Amino acid sequence: MNSRLRRFLGRFLIYAVLGAGAVVMAFPFYWMIATSVKSPQEAQQAAPIWFPERIQPANWRAAWRLGAAGDRPWWGGFAPGRTVTLEVFVERPDAGAPRARIPKPPAVFSDPRSEATRIRIEPANGGWEITLENTGGQRFTTLPLVVWIPKAAGRFRATLPPDAVRSQRGYWRLEWENVVPGWFGYLFHNYREAWHAAPFGRYFFVSFFTAGTQVVGGLLIATMAAFAFARIRFPGREAVFLLFVATMMIPGEVLLIPNYILLSKLDWLDTFYALIVPWLASVFGIFLLRQFFLSLPQDLFDAARIDGASYWGMLWRIAFPLAVPGLVTYGIFAFLGAYNALLWPLIVTQSPEMRTIQVGLQAFIGEAGSDYGQLMAASTMAILPIVLGYFFAQRHFIQGIARSGIK
Amino acid sequence: MVRTYVFPGLLALAVFSGLLHLSIQYEIVRAPMGALVLVFALAGPLAAYPAARLLPGGVLAWLGLAVFAASMAAGFWIPPALDWLPLAGVFLAYAGSRARLPESDAAAFWGWVFVWPALTLMLIWNIFPSLFALWISLFDRFNYIGASRFVGLLNYEILWRDPLFWRALSNTFWYVVLTVPTGILLGTVVAVLLNERIRGLGFFRTVYFLPYITALTAAAAVWQWIYHPEFGFLNWLLGTPGLDWLHTPDGIFALALAPLGIQLGGFWAGPSVAFTAIMIMTVWHFLGYNVVILLAGLQSIPVQYYEAAELDGAGWWQMQRYVTWPLLSPTTFFLAIIGLIGAFQVFTQVYVMTPTGGVLNDTLTVAMYLYNKGFRDSDFSYASALAVTMFVIILALTLVQRRVLERRVIYEQ
Repeated sequence: MNSRLRRFLGRFLIYAVLGAGAVVMAFPFYWMIATSVKSPQEAQQAAPIWFPERIQPANWRAAWRLGAAGDRPWWGGFAPGRTVTLEVFVERPDAGAPRARIPKPPAVFSDPRSEATRIRIEPANGGWEITLENTGGQRFTTLPLVVWIPKAAGRFRATLPPDAVRSQRGYWRLEWENVVPGWFGYLFHNYREAWHAAPFGRYFFVSFFTAGTQVVGGLLIATMAAFAFARIRFPGREAVFLLFVATMMIPGEVLLIPNYILLSKLDWLDTFYALIVPWLASVFGIFLLRQFFLSLPQDLFDAARIDGASYWGMLWRIAFPLAVPGLVTYGIFAFLGAYNALLWPLIVTQSPEMRTIQVGLQAFIGEAGSDYGQLMAASTMAILPIVLGYFFAQRHFIQGIARSGIK
Repeated sequence: MVRTYVFPGLLALAVFSGLLHLSIQYEIVRAPMGALVLVFALAGPLAAYPAARLLPGGVLAWLGLAVFAASMAAGFWIPPALDWLPLAGVFLAYAGSRARLPESDAAAFWGWVFVWPALTLMLIWNIFPSLFALWISLFDRFNYIGASRFVGLLNYEILWRDPLFWRALSNTFWYVVLTVPTGILLGTVVAVLLNERIRGLGFFRTVYFLPYITALTAAAAVWQWIYHPEFGFLNWLLGTPGLDWLHTPDGIFALALAPLGIQLGGFWAGPSVAFTAIMIMTVWHFLGYNVVILLAGLQSIPVQYYEAAELDGAGWWQMQRYVTWPLLSPTTFFLAIIGLIGAFQVFTQVYVMTPTGGVLNDTLTVAMYLYNKGFRDSDFSYASALAVTMFVIILALTLVQRRVLERRVIYEQ
């Protein structure tokens, strides 16, 4: 074998292995996003559906038009006095007219949506026009619809594909979760449902507030300590540093119960204090920043000293601005740690108002049951801020992680 | 110089008296507090007197020391809102004597001022709690609900005979033994290939890295869906409809060897299918971390070694085997230590994917058992005993790892 062929084969093999690995690594993300835009019936297929109806542009147009007719083209809705027309084409229109109904939620005595909507079914060329009119005075965000088509009518097609098709005696039962979706309302149906099924807005606020405060407070505290360890000679420095190193060996599980007891004594359980304060001082951050301060030239500090700068001034005017890469690294780590944590917030919070996004998601997994579309939508929402942050500050993420591994 | 110790001493006294007052106010420790209050009340003036002799102070310094001494002596009888007074006194004393203090004394003051915020938090949330965990593990059902009594090492004795603990420990053992090396080996392969000056490095790195920054909770939810018995993707891919990955308690070694007629039971049956499924998800999640760290390690290997090896006629494989692998060993070693410590504490993905610890506790881990004991059964003592045991095991394993592996690590000069 000549060397060029060998080289080519070698390169090919590298790309093949890396590519196969990349497919495996990326697949769960694809599967999560794909499921998050599936209707329950699409999700619950024995063979996977690779391209769900809701991501097909042809359906977006229909969704846009229906949404615009109902209320607004982006997010849809069904405003008073509006009329929406859904067309169902069938192979043999003479087989009988379809029936249509606005399904009531189970165990509800009166449902304004079905009472305010007037349904008319008229023949059109090649099928039927189902006209829905909002005769009430109330605006509805969504409008579900069920249509029965006689099986004798043969194959059928609707302007907006139904979310589920079931067989019911002599009829096909077509179900729409929302016939006035609008483009986003169609594409992000599961996201909107999940968002309203649990207080995700609050969860996000708790997570961001907790993580943000931890980062800012942690940075100040770690910077001061790291600067003292790196640049100030004071009696007891080595002993305290050794103590800090020693605490790194204690696994977090040891602290769960004592800290829980302490928080209950302080009456801090189920508050932001419980989520934030125990994590403010980070030995990891102190280490990282100490390395940074150690790498700065001593001349800088000598010069400042001669100019009469105090240690306080040296820290905030000289060392702090120069340590920005280290601060960013630590900030990313602290934010990731706080945002992605489950065990600690699970223990110290009880009320839904104090749940972080991870605890909220964990609770949602139990509540959502078999609605995997909504569950995957919630998961996507939960990881989205971090992934977006990664794409904005990719270099910092990678360098930060790499830096943490260098002693 | 004795004077160098003046400010560190005063600061320490002020902080500790503050902590003492807080712990009395919130009834955190049951101890003869009166005696401690008395000690601090006396220590204040006793420390302020030599300080006043040693410091080259003016009126301001004297005033500061007076505030310190007075507020310390007043001790418990000053309102909690004024607990910061001794500290203010020390700062005042420093401000008053600053102009005439030598460099080393200023350094002693500022060094401790900068360290105390972190140190206070560490004392409150890490150091005292660790000792407290050790302490309450010696009691009988310490949980503030009923009375508890000192029982010595009884909890550890029960733990030793607790089949669930051994189950959790053996599960965790398999988890560590299987995920950590797999992650490092796969990570090395990917990192070495990524280091081959390929196109699209950024793309590949992102794809491999993304799982690591996604929250374990969300990732576990996704994998739970992939493993779904009826509609899961994996069952479609493998053509095994109905296989309930996360509820299959059979050990994988037992399953693998059963066709050969070998029956394995208990520990040697290996981790259950459910737990293996969780491990696969975990390797997927952490691979990107290993890849990034190993890539940084690879890039720090000087290129001269490869040039020398090429001159000697080494092929690609030989270069990886005799240059890359040994010179990468410090990084690999670091990942092994970090991985062991992290893997031993596995909780999140197990809790999300199998909230009850699986069928027959086949996915129960030590951390999860601790969570169940402490926060479901409210048995803080037993959970603390578990935590302390866990700490000892992790420490021992880390030390063994250092002894055994570090001899093979080649640090470049």
